[in-house]
Amino acid sequence: MGTLEQIDVPHTQSSSSSSSSIDSNNHPSRTPPPSSPSSSVCRKRTDLSTDLRLGLSISPSSQSQPPFNSTPREESFNWPPIKSILRSTLVGKQSHLSQRPSLFVKVYMEGIPIGRKLNLMAHYSYDGLVKTLGHMFRTTILCPNSQPLNSGNFHVLTYEDQEGDWMMVGDVPWEMFLNSVKRLKITRADRC
Amino acid sequence: MMNYFPDEVIEHIFDYVVSHRDRNALSLVCKSWYRIERCTRQRVFIGNCYSITPERLIQRFPGLKSLTLKGKPHFADFSLVPYGWGGFVYPWIEALAKRRVGLEELRLKRMVVSDESLELLSRSFTNFKSLVLVSCEGFTTDGLAAVAANCRYLRELDLQENEVEDHKGQWLSCFPDSCTSLVSLNFACLKGEVSLGALERLVARSPNLKSLKLNRSVPLDALQRILTRAPQLADLGIGSLVHDPESEAYIKLKNTILKCKSITSLSGLLEVAPHCLAAIYPICPNLTSLNLSYAAGIQGSDLIKLIRHCVKLQRLWIMDCIGDKGLGVVAQTCTDLQELRVFPSVPFGNPAANVTEVGLVAISMGCPKLHSLLYFCHQMTNAALITVAKNCPNFIRFRLCILDATKPDPDTMQPLDEGFGAIVQSCRRLRRLSLSGQLTDQVFLYIGMYAEKLEMLSIAFAGDSDKGMLYVLNGCKKLRKLEIRDCPFGDMALLTDVGKYETMRSLWMSSCEVTVGACKLLAKKMPRLNVEIFNENEQEDCSLEDGQRVEKMYLYRTLAGKRKDAPEYVWTL
Repeated sequence: MGTLEQIDVPHTQSSSSSSSSIDSNNHPSRTPPPSSPSSSVCRKRTDLSTDLRLGLSISPSSQSQPPFNSTPREESFNWPPIKSILRSTLVGKQSHLSQRPSLFVKVYMEGIPIGRKLNLMAHYSYDGLVKTLGHMFRTTILCPNSQPLNSGNFHVLTYEDQEGDWMMVGDVPWEMFLNSVKRLKITRADRC
Repeated sequence: MMNYFPDEVIEHIFDYVVSHRDRNALSLVCKSWYRIERCTRQRVFIGNCYSITPERLIQRFPGLKSLTLKGKPHFADFSLVPYGWGGFVYPWIEALAKRRVGLEELRLKRMVVSDESLELLSRSFTNFKSLVLVSCEGFTTDGLAAVAANCRYLRELDLQENEVEDHKGQWLSCFPDSCTSLVSLNFACLKGEVSLGALERLVARSPNLKSLKLNRSVPLDALQRILTRAPQLADLGIGSLVHDPESEAYIKLKNTILKCKSITSLSGLLEVAPHCLAAIYPICPNLTSLNLSYAAGIQGSDLIKLIRHCVKLQRLWIMDCIGDKGLGVVAQTCTDLQELRVFPSVPFGNPAANVTEVGLVAISMGCPKLHSLLYFCHQMTNAALITVAKNCPNFIRFRLCILDATKPDPDTMQPLDEGFGAIVQSCRRLRRLSLSGQLTDQVFLYIGMYAEKLEMLSIAFAGDSDKGMLYVLNGCKKLRKLEIRDCPFGDMALLTDVGKYETMRSLWMSSCEVTVGACKLLAKKMPRLNVEIFNENEQEDCSLEDGQRVEKMYLYRTLAGKRKDAPEYVWTL
């Protein structure tokens, strides 16, 4: 979700006019608009599933996000002067700009003690993940269902899930995988 | 001498006179020119839909083919005009239909367009070719379905920044198979999904399609298929550019784009995965227009990478996350730049997404052809404005918006009077100006003195006294639209030169010091002005006392008298 901003708007006196105007509405004479937020700006920490929705969904839904919160005074200020259709686009996208979601997991290849780290959120499907890992570790990683002609220099990709079990990568939908993966391991095909 | 020519000859000569102002001038020469002009006039522009009645328009111009109408005041864009104010297009369409006007083109801005009016439009004008709706509201995709289904020779359906309710009725599928005439289709502002199959088939049977702007629901693979069917496109709006950069679909798109040699204008990128931007690098060197104002998903560094390829750019709309550094790159790369708009990426300001006077000065040094500017920034200095004025004397439109609206020059803590003064003094062709920052009456003195061609002025949180407004009203002879909010201008300024308002299209004043009594007096003195006061108080029984301050006032010249469709909160005095 976006930021919750508390902005103090100083209220000036509306006493300057000489006529005895009966100002029946409560608008102060001319209050300067909110300047850059001085008080604390707190950003709600969202869970991964929200980040996923933000990062992966076509249209960011606001199911788990509280609406962009501003004081009524700010909203009635209508400043800066940008079209409401543009403003609503920006508010929806604020979290994209302030922090792009990332999910770095450890990746080990069998037989190599030093592991690597990889940002899963930089990929949108298994396809891309497998290709990147293939480049990273200079090997060919097979899809779960394919049979190698000879089990030479081929590997398969496995992952440890939230329950501590080691599973073959590729069986569940991508988003579900992102939710459950803790780390990755590339093992030799003839071992599985 | 001209009076000895037969009418047909004069008509033929008039064919070459195209602009509205020139045609208006022709009609004033003599009675026979007035007659010939009105019978041959095909295009009419009405800047305020309440300035004249539809009947009167049709009476004068029976041969009308193209009509442009504008409704709500400009500040409606920023939610300053309450809901229901007006600007309904239905009575216009009804009148045109009734009189069997051969309407072919309708362009509307800030009007309320109902589905009913779209349906009536689609059924009433057999040769209807072009519908352009900008910042309108009130319609749904059902109305669009009617237009698609019934306008047999439709060439243009251009929806720009409208609020459209989505009814999931597959409006795009309503274009019949016989419709092959489309030249321009823009539905980028629609929020809902469209039938991708129908879209692809429509594109495939529209050989003249030059401009296509998709909404965010059109995914990358569909874009690729569409582009293969429309290699002749000159103007493209991408909806979604999200895909795995290693995937087949993405690679296919990259190859397809290489064949799109005609694209000179690009917009949209409403949903974008940064790695995918590389796909559009090949078309960047051909671009003259790039609109990324809705591409909120692109970071500054990626914007900069993109811009480096855009050497021919003349128009750039971008978000401020490009930063001052990025604007420096624009200045180096886009030396032909004529129009620049920099929008705030976070409405209330984010120090990380920062453009300041530095970026603007860089642009002014690198882009001498710049004539139109809209610039949202964190701060501005007098020195910078003076430099910009010197580097770019050709400004026609200069709109500056400092996010902290009353911020002075941060270096000197002075108001920005001198800076804007330099702008108006140097830019003799200036037609439109928006001010912001800390400003005293002095800036208005400069504007009155130097801005001889100024037609539209927007002021907010500026000035010290009535003198400010008077400098402008007295000095700017060509002023047509004046809009003021939150300034200390009151009755004296309003009433000093009442005749001035008949030379202008409209005046807006909100949160100023004007009273009800003064507005009443003005309305009484000037019967050909409509003076509207918006009374948004909840209490029903509040009567307007003369001494009461007016929260919002909108006045405009009119030949139509008091309008009959005003909502309850609008009091026409």
